Amino acid sequence: MVTYKSLALRGIAAGGIAGVASALVQLLVTEIPIRAALAVEEARAPAGEQAGHSHGGEDELVSRGAQIVGGMLGVVIVGIAVGLVFATAYALSKRWFAGSSPFTRSFAFGAAVFGAVALLPWLKYPANPPAVGDPETVNYRTALYLGVVVAGLVIVWAASWLAERLRAQSQPVRTTAVLLAVAAATAVVLLAFPAPPDTIPADMPVNVLWQFRLSSLAQLATLYVGIGVVFGLLVDPATRKAEARVAEASV
Amino acid sequence: MTSPAASLSAVRVPKWAFAVSLLGLIVTYLVLQENGLALGAGSELLHEFFHDGRHALGVPCH
Repeated sequence: MVTYKSLALRGIAAGGIAGVASALVQLLVTEIPIRAALAVEEARAPAGEQAGHSHGGEDELVSRGAQIVGGMLGVVIVGIAVGLVFATAYALSKRWFAGSSPFTRSFAFGAAVFGAVALLPWLKYPANPPAVGDPETVNYRTALYLGVVVAGLVIVWAASWLAERLRAQSQPVRTTAVLLAVAAATAVVLLAFPAPPDTIPADMPVNVLWQFRLSSLAQLATLYVGIGVVFGLLVDPATRKAEARVAEASV
Repeated sequence: MTSPAASLSAVRVPKWAFAVSLLGLIVTYLVLQENGLALGAGSELLHEFFHDGRHALGVPCH
């Protein structure tokens, strides 16, 4: 018998492991364009003159070194928190790839969550490095971003519902129908949400911008797909052991 | 022969699981989104400390 508690603990472990992997990607990959973007910001105005925001200089709130460590710690904390929510959703998702192995279910779920809460918002509102972004519009941008995340999760839920409804169809027809529906819904979301409100400042080099965006996407994939893979690895043998015990007891 | 799905449907999700999940979402919000709504003045310190992580995970920032 698999308990919720055992799944939740594995979710926390999977989130922690994927979070550490994502934090390492940040340290080794994403910090390179962040450093370049901070140099652009520094060159723009004398240190400390930007209202309410600092990345070093005389009046810094948090030192650069602390920001690097804090940023990595933040990724690990988010990984653990997401891992816990992931485990709960997994425990509730009875129809998600029902009949497949727990590893396949977990991996497919991690990939779908990555698509919904990372890839879709990344396509509509690509990640921006420091020195891009108007502080005046941050609440508006946050609302748009969260709106796309919610829309993405609704698409995943609806795809699972549709797949269940089409169970009588043959596998190729069912897969094609679900994929077409997901593509159409994604297109509607991308067209319906307004364009990103910020213009990219002229002094931000295009290669720094895109190096940052692709690094960010790699890091998000490491986190979300990582949770799906690690949780699948942790949960699969455990479930098989529980099944073996049930089989033994019923003999 | 029990299928994997059959063994999973045996998982009973207790009520406190939803409280625990809500806690997970709140922690995610505080690390990634907090701009002064929940913590007021303390949020600026939090924002600056987790700064690089917020940018790296693609969350709108300042």
